[in-house]
Amino acid sequence: MLANVAPSVFNGLVLGAFYAFVAIGLSLIMNLTGTINLAHGSFLTLAGYLAFTLVSRGTSFWFALVVAPLLTVVVGVAVERLLIVPLYKRDPMFSLLLTFGLALIAEEVYRLIWGPNGVPFSAPGILGGGLNLGFMQFPTLRLFIALVLALAMALLAIFLWRTRFGLRLRAAVQDTEMIAAMGTSTQMLYMVNFAIGIFLAGLAGVLASGLLGLSPTMGNALLMPAFVVAIIGGMGSLFGSIVGGLLVGLAISVTTLYMPAANEIIMYILMAVVLLIRPRGLFGTEGLFG
Amino acid sequence: MAEVLLEARNVSKHFGGVMAVNDVSMKVEKGSIYAVIGPNGAGKTTFFNTLSGFYIPDGGNVVYEGRDITKLANWQRIQLGMSRTFQTPSVFPELTVYENLLIGVQSQKKLAFRLRLPSAGRQREIDARIDELLGFVNLQHLKGRPVAELSHGGQRLCEIAMSLSVDPTLVLLDEPMAGLAEAETERIMEVIRDLHERLNLTVLFVEHNMRVVLSLAHRILVLDRGNTLAEGTPNEISNNQAVREAYLGQEVISRV
Amino acid sequence: MKNRQTQGLIGSILALILLAILPVKLGSHSILGLMHLDVSILSEMLLFAIAAMSVNLLLGYTGQMSFGNAAYFGLGAYGAGLSIHYWDVKFIVATLIGTGIAILGAVVVGPFLLRRRGIYFSLLTLAFGQVFYFIAYRANHITGGEDGMSFSRPYLGFPGWHVDVREMSFYYAMLILFVAILIAFWLIVRSPFGRTLQAIRQNELRVRYLGLDTNRFIYVALIVSAAMAGLAGALYGLLIMFAAPLMLDWHQSGDFVMIMILGGAGTIWGPLVGSFIYVIGKDIISTITETWQIYIGALFVICVLAFPRGLFGTILNAIVRRDVGAPVSEEAPISEVPWDHGPTPNAAAMATEQKER
Repeated sequence: MLANVAPSVFNGLVLGAFYAFVAIGLSLIMNLTGTINLAHGSFLTLAGYLAFTLVSRGTSFWFALVVAPLLTVVVGVAVERLLIVPLYKRDPMFSLLLTFGLALIAEEVYRLIWGPNGVPFSAPGILGGGLNLGFMQFPTLRLFIALVLALAMALLAIFLWRTRFGLRLRAAVQDTEMIAAMGTSTQMLYMVNFAIGIFLAGLAGVLASGLLGLSPTMGNALLMPAFVVAIIGGMGSLFGSIVGGLLVGLAISVTTLYMPAANEIIMYILMAVVLLIRPRGLFGTEGLFG
Repeated sequence: MAEVLLEARNVSKHFGGVMAVNDVSMKVEKGSIYAVIGPNGAGKTTFFNTLSGFYIPDGGNVVYEGRDITKLANWQRIQLGMSRTFQTPSVFPELTVYENLLIGVQSQKKLAFRLRLPSAGRQREIDARIDELLGFVNLQHLKGRPVAELSHGGQRLCEIAMSLSVDPTLVLLDEPMAGLAEAETERIMEVIRDLHERLNLTVLFVEHNMRVVLSLAHRILVLDRGNTLAEGTPNEISNNQAVREAYLGQEVISRV
Repeated sequence: MKNRQTQGLIGSILALILLAILPVKLGSHSILGLMHLDVSILSEMLLFAIAAMSVNLLLGYTGQMSFGNAAYFGLGAYGAGLSIHYWDVKFIVATLIGTGIAILGAVVVGPFLLRRRGIYFSLLTLAFGQVFYFIAYRANHITGGEDGMSFSRPYLGFPGWHVDVREMSFYYAMLILFVAILIAFWLIVRSPFGRTLQAIRQNELRVRYLGLDTNRFIYVALIVSAAMAGLAGALYGLLIMFAAPLMLDWHQSGDFVMIMILGGAGTIWGPLVGSFIYVIGKDIISTITETWQIYIGALFVICVLAFPRGLFGTILNAIVRRDVGAPVSEEAPISEVPWDHGPTPNAAAMATEQKER
């Protein structure tokens, strides 16, 4: 019994971890600036394509794993400084619209440069095969991905909770005016915050390409579930995104086992149920009209 | 003994670890003017907000006309006869003064949900009511002006007229004198006094301006750091040692 | 004020005349040798304008931005298609059923959306829109799955008038419907209900403190919006004899929002102008290059950054500004974009810092 269920559950949890990872990036950006980044998926895809290009030029997968997200951050920061900063003084709706427009452009640009059908991108051979841990065979690739994601989340947590800058960032989410009054450059905060969010997206993008394949719409396929995870976990809470992601992953794996046709919808059902019981999400902050 | 209109029973409210309002009780008699004061951070706005339905208290009850309204939504409290203004005048910035009042009058006459325009007769009623409300605050001549063009005091008067459009028994005013010049403060005080007498309103207000409070209020509740410091008539309060100390020295009270 | 209203009325009548003679005048010529303004394109323009109007209703009159209206559009198309497929109903009945299904969707989803406002509301519309997308995608045996479903088109006719989709008569039927919806829109806007909606957009808290349950109003607005989108979707499905899951996807929702913004949110004619730009523009550009999406996307980005009022909105605003005097409440106000509630508290601090540098 366990041998049947365990792989499914493991795969589900890894998927959930992906969603959580992307959700955290989204939440970071949303919490501080109110921007819903509909282009987040595009950054994921960009990182994947950059990694592909690097590898096809001869670099190693490991090199690409680190460098591609960094390159994506450069693009992201450029976009933020040039296009989003002017919109901060307006209703957050405008940034949402802008990111939607960027997502449209990006998708087409990827098709132009790398072709409409996706490209073959796979993890190096060393990550193939599996690791036998007794009760089940763990696919090495997924194990690796899970480790990288967990490591990155831990590093993020350390940064946010154990460094001075991280403290300022967290404080700024609560009250940017106060932080500005205390001398921190809010410009820097916004930029770094966005950069972190994009880095997370980039990293997820490279990993996802190795796992799911790389095509112009790959990132968007991860975007929607990430939003759902952010809603379930609670809008405004990073911890909630992690919990939400794992819950969704679990739900997907269970559904895949017993009712495969519903495994895409289950997260939305979960979302609806959570919203019914707790309108602000599991760990979300209080709204005024609920 | 006059009837008690609004009562707070052991109301408490905390935010995270901070106890903003701690076990505060108060009775407001019908037809009286009641003030809630306290130094900054005393919790008076939070307390005020639990009364008006902006917050739900964590402990205690709010009772209106004998009825427990602690968990009622804000719009429901308005329907029961309460009304409220805000520290920054809360009006409809894109509309004219007339249109601002129209929304409230429509609501009071239960017309807000309709698709059909009111009949000519109805419309006359509505217009007459709007004129009446504007008359209370002397804004009739500004009826057609966009409310955004009014001075701060003018907007506050408009807001007071709006809060009267729902035909309230109890009016809650949140720092009605905030940001007003001396002359405007006088005017608002006159308006409040006049409306209190003319319409037999019960008024509860939060205020910083001690002169206004001591002059207008029949009874005063003094809060300090979330707790009740004192409660009584203006005379009792201005002679209260603890209150004087809380307000940083006796100068503040004695100068009034 | 009377002056402004008469101006608006005259302008609208002119616009309608233009729309009426458009196919007659231009139908026979091709534009830049690139395309003909045929029934299909023109009808699509009108229907997409209606879909954009459904988003406009919510934004301009409750201040909320829906990124999920394509779900209702698609429900309309599928509703019409399925009813023809299973029950072989007539054209108008199919349209009504499609609209009805869309309304049902909003009735079910509405209570979830009502719990939030602002960007979180938008996020929820996005998510719930996807629910319907996945249902359409997965329920293969009913909806045909990824490939969509095609269905036949019933006869559309009224006493004395046979409407053939291949002929301009279909366009005129759509035009009549469009005008009817414009009129309905206008009636709603000037009614007490409409006024209250606008008040909610400007200051929802104050409306609540005037004794009104704003959730009720927004719920109704949501349903009306869904009905409009569903109606447009049903007719579009009947036009192309096809319904597909992509019609419900958030990209489609985004397209409707884009159309509204390009033309001018909060205005009556904005959606049509935007739809003209989008539908016709896309058609023209796609004959020149395959990557039309880049150009439309870029146009949209420029619009968001520099022309938040959209093409029609900016022109309207320029005209309104020229008149000195009291602003008209029902049209675009003289100051900022009406549905700009200002930056989030955090971003506001950032903006102040920007200014000071």
